[in-house]
Amino acid sequence: MNPVIRKASFALHSRVLDQAGLLFRASVSVQHPIQGSLAFSNERQYRTMPTHGIGKYKHLLPKEAPKKKKERQQMKQIKTATDAEYGTLNVKVSGYDMILVEHYSQYIHNLCNRLGVKVAESYALPTKSTEVMVMPEQGTKMYVDAILKTHERIVQLSQLNATLCPTFMEVLLKNQPEGIQLSVKLHTEADYQARFKARPELEGLMAQMT
Amino acid sequence: MAAPCSRMANRPLWQFITNVRRTGLKHTGVRQISLSSACRAATQTRSKTEGVASPWKLYGAVCLQRLPVISQERNPIEDQFAELMHQMELERSLLSDHEQRLLEDSERMTRKQADNYDSDEEEADYGGQETITAQDQEDSWEQKLKHFQPALRDRGRSGTPLGSVERCLGDSLVLLVQQTVGKETIWLLPQAQWEAGETLRQTAERGLNSLPEADFKATFLGNTPCGVYRYKFPKEVQTECCVGAKVFFFKAFLSAGSASQKEPFLWVKKTELQGYLKPPYLEKVDRFILNL
Repeated sequence: MNPVIRKASFALHSRVLDQAGLLFRASVSVQHPIQGSLAFSNERQYRTMPTHGIGKYKHLLPKEAPKKKKERQQMKQIKTATDAEYGTLNVKVSGYDMILVEHYSQYIHNLCNRLGVKVAESYALPTKSTEVMVMPEQGTKMYVDAILKTHERIVQLSQLNATLCPTFMEVLLKNQPEGIQLSVKLHTEADYQARFKARPELEGLMAQMT
Repeated sequence: MAAPCSRMANRPLWQFITNVRRTGLKHTGVRQISLSSACRAATQTRSKTEGVASPWKLYGAVCLQRLPVISQERNPIEDQFAELMHQMELERSLLSDHEQRLLEDSERMTRKQADNYDSDEEEADYGGQETITAQDQEDSWEQKLKHFQPALRDRGRSGTPLGSVERCLGDSLVLLVQQTVGKETIWLLPQAQWEAGETLRQTAERGLNSLPEADFKATFLGNTPCGVYRYKFPKEVQTECCVGAKVFFFKAFLSAGSASQKEPFLWVKKTELQGYLKPPYLEKVDRFILNL
């Protein structure tokens, strides 16, 4: 009896709600459209109501693998017969003038994008300050004359075609600005590890362990 | 095929930005490379022996370039624009540490000269006078700048001979030599004939090293040739086994070197090549020399 009544009342109730809802929406849509839609989505149904959890959808999506935070290093390409490709190359641009260094490294990056050479990474190494000390003729004490800052930027290329390499290097060399040093080297594990800061506490603990 | 190159599809390299993307450079001239330590080190190659001899004689030539030593001079428009940009940046910029120090020092000086100057208060605030003010530093720097003499752009000599390496310091120059080919002596890029068992790049290196009385240290950029020039011998010279010759060009940059002035060397810019090379040869060579 009770469930029947409840169902009947619920059926009536839902129909009333629908009609009321329609009326409500029709009347309110012009004046307060935001409020009208909010009034219906903010209502949370009780656990016994059949519409409980009606808005859930996350259980329907495919499961995502959890993200790994481990860093992985690029491996060198194995050369094939016709298309010889170089492994991971580090193009290092260094100089005293930061504007020129940055602009040149950006130029190299854009050139690689245009030519289809894949750029693995493009990062900057920490700036090194060099103090120029001058010893005067009379005295023995040296005093600081100037502080020179050396800026370094690295563009890491992954698949440079051997046929493209001479042309690419030539364009780079001919467009090199004044006062900028360019060097192209193979990327090594040591280069990769050099970017990280030393952790003295960890090293101390490791030394204690062994 | 005696050498590993048959017919190289020759893409005009001055369009390389668009072409390289669309169609890969077809080359059969690259042998299997195994890179050892540095990517610019000598490569190990495997020689392929073929039974059939081709009717073409093969040569390896080197296009030795000297990179510009100084920057080029600006156009009037470039000059004006550079000045405008400099002005704009100056007006938008903030004061640097040095400039702020200058301002503070000048303010302190004016306050010192004022009537109600309280030296104890000032020194308590600033912790004693600095022995060198910012203005003094600037003056000493200006003195040093006056002593500095920049070198001349032309290295003094007006009209340096064409054979000198220090010719136009702002442009890149190509080496030309005079060699006897057939019956005539003509100007061309240094070349040598290919011998069995060596790569074409080694042929080019040999061609460069065998130049008499010249000692050029060159860095080759890669193993791939940058251009090809094919020509047939005149009818009377043609035999069954050699119909003509193919010259493969390799690019290299000059790292160090010297040459005596007596030998017929020429260092020319791209625009001056026309006066020395033959038209069909020039047409092929022009394609791979970049005018940057």
